Amino acid sequence: MPSAIRHLLFIVVPLLVVFAILPGVYENHLMLFNFVVFLILAQGVNVIYGFTGYLPFGYVGFFGSGAYGFAMMVMHAHASAPVAVIAAGLAGMLIGLLLTPLLRLSGAYFAIANLASSLAVLHFVANPALEDITRGPYGVSLTATFNPEAAYWAALVVLALTLGVVVYLKNSRFGLALQAVREDPVSAGMAGVNVVRMRVAAWLASALIAGLAGGVYAWYVSVFFPDNVFSGTFSIFAIVFALFGGVATIIGPIVGVLILYGVYNLIGFTTPQYFQLIYGLLIMGLVLFLPAGLVSLVTRRGRHVP
Amino acid sequence: MIGRMAAAFAAGLMLATPVLAADPPAEIKIGTLYASSGRYASISMPVHSALKLWVEQKNAEGGVYVKAFDKKVPIKLVAYDDQSNTATASTLYNQLITQDKVDLLVADSGSVLTAPAVAIARDHKMFLFDQTGTGASFFSKDNPYIALMADPVSTIWPKPVADFLTHDGPALGIKKIALLYSTNEFTGTQANAVRKFIKESGAPVEIVYDQGVPTETTNYTVIINNIRAKKPDAVIHLGYAPNDIAFLRNVNEVGVKFKWMFSIYAGLETELLEKNVGVKGLQYVYTYVPPSELDYPVNFGMKMPEFRALWNKTFPDGKVEFGFNAVAGYTTALVIEKTLSVATSLDQMELRRAVFSLSGQLKTLDGTFALDETGGQIGELTPLGQLVPNEHGHLKFVAVYPHEVATGKPVYPRP
Repeated sequence: MPSAIRHLLFIVVPLLVVFAILPGVYENHLMLFNFVVFLILAQGVNVIYGFTGYLPFGYVGFFGSGAYGFAMMVMHAHASAPVAVIAAGLAGMLIGLLLTPLLRLSGAYFAIANLASSLAVLHFVANPALEDITRGPYGVSLTATFNPEAAYWAALVVLALTLGVVVYLKNSRFGLALQAVREDPVSAGMAGVNVVRMRVAAWLASALIAGLAGGVYAWYVSVFFPDNVFSGTFSIFAIVFALFGGVATIIGPIVGVLILYGVYNLIGFTTPQYFQLIYGLLIMGLVLFLPAGLVSLVTRRGRHVP
Repeated sequence: MIGRMAAAFAAGLMLATPVLAADPPAEIKIGTLYASSGRYASISMPVHSALKLWVEQKNAEGGVYVKAFDKKVPIKLVAYDDQSNTATASTLYNQLITQDKVDLLVADSGSVLTAPAVAIARDHKMFLFDQTGTGASFFSKDNPYIALMADPVSTIWPKPVADFLTHDGPALGIKKIALLYSTNEFTGTQANAVRKFIKESGAPVEIVYDQGVPTETTNYTVIINNIRAKKPDAVIHLGYAPNDIAFLRNVNEVGVKFKWMFSIYAGLETELLEKNVGVKGLQYVYTYVPPSELDYPVNFGMKMPEFRALWNKTFPDGKVEFGFNAVAGYTTALVIEKTLSVATSLDQMELRRAVFSLSGQLKTLDGTFALDETGGQIGELTPLGQLVPNEHGHLKFVAVYPHEVATGKPVYPRP
């Protein structure tokens, strides 16, 4: 059986089935929805960081753009929610396209520039002068499309597509070429890989994923402010979850989200006073002892992790 | 015949017997969130502390009277820490409704942390006791599941400021106004309202400087110089407490003497600003006069001196500031208490009916509780006042507008 089919059958399908069944078992649907959103975002970070080495500290810029792309389509074009979600993805991609010059930077310089660009997008959207278009800082209320149940299913579709992209990257020449670019762009270029095109493609795919996630998030919550959807927490969580599990794998970010976001909620509900302490210690432990993520526990023993 | 008579007797007995109240639960569960850290902690903690204080006070008395059960029932406050994080807040609001099955849902403080609750409450058909989320987008005719408890909606809040400038301003020589605001929903909406009220007044005043700046702004030096270049007679600064602190400190550092200067939090969180700006920096600043300075007639709950004494006794270390937000939290608690005393069941729509029945009737230490048809708060307005030094060098509030509540004359220009 080809490995791509195996990955789809034994990782992607079971995960989707679990999240399709859970709303019938567990009533806190928004928590499940947030799990799905973070699964999407962690895989989005995986696409750009895991396969190209660019750490997107301002990843929330695409997410927020997607949320506002959704809102503007609903408010001004009176589009249906599914159409608005597609527009949200395109809005994320558009911002990604505008920010492609950032790919000329690398390492910490790229991370900082990306963070600054996400703040720039936030302040652009929240500008009171754009009240007629984005509602500026005053927030949007999308009562016409309010349908949390449909938004949850749409999030699952986006998750399926995202996982499909990651499975493709993991099993294709394209993904291999991206990893070659990440390891040594000069050698990859000498070997015939179009470095710029590869990086831009991964960058736009990652932006599209975050934009779609922002779109379904806007659909679900329906009332939000720029501060809600451009909150730096989305970037930080997505990056930490992906790193905790292990990037450049399919399973790493999934494990990272399930464990860390699970612990996050568990602490939040039981011992909120120790929240930051426990979470901080967990992340410090990761950085000190498992810099390559949880999957490295397996890969150290010479085993392959999909 | 006998059977028919017996049936008629039984029916008559049933009609004559008063309806017995349902079995009371062991406790009434009130679910809420608070932010112990992050950007909104300074406004959230006083509100939450006041709510907790009320719960402890009522439970010490055996609980609150609940009309639905015709007896006192203890309260259980189920509270989670959202750490000023809106995604976390969303999950926790859901947790309160779906897992903890709270009877009443109370939002965290401020519009940003209230926003996630609006849609969730509506989705679950839970009535949301919105404490201080003044966002205009929360209130619409098609959403019956929300009402604002303790602050006026942002769209009418700054009316006394604009009215003073347009009615009394020209006589004082105020003709040019500078408007500086932080670009967030709370202060952005107030800026819009100021603009609208001034425009509609037709008064001979004009806005010569109108600028929004990011809420994260911490240095206003260049902006202050830009404002000075426009030679305004009055400067309105609308921002959160950290913005007010930075703005007022910078004004003093630059050495500019604006003739008339307004800031929101100089009045709402005076203790906090005094600590950070100093008494001198706050002298003659115009601001909202908080209810703690106004001694409103009260027909329910503690009066201001009693509440302040209890607060100081409960929080002697002064780590949680007594101010406008503390009063807001206690006001929410009073609305809840009164609602439970008039609602005939804990059904969410009945709770809504009970809350709206209090509109115009309930007078607390925060003023008169009054709602519009969408649930927006239109009572509890804060007059315009000025912080004036007293003979001991401390600051005291002088209410200057509206005239019917004025306690003194405005000092203009600022010495």
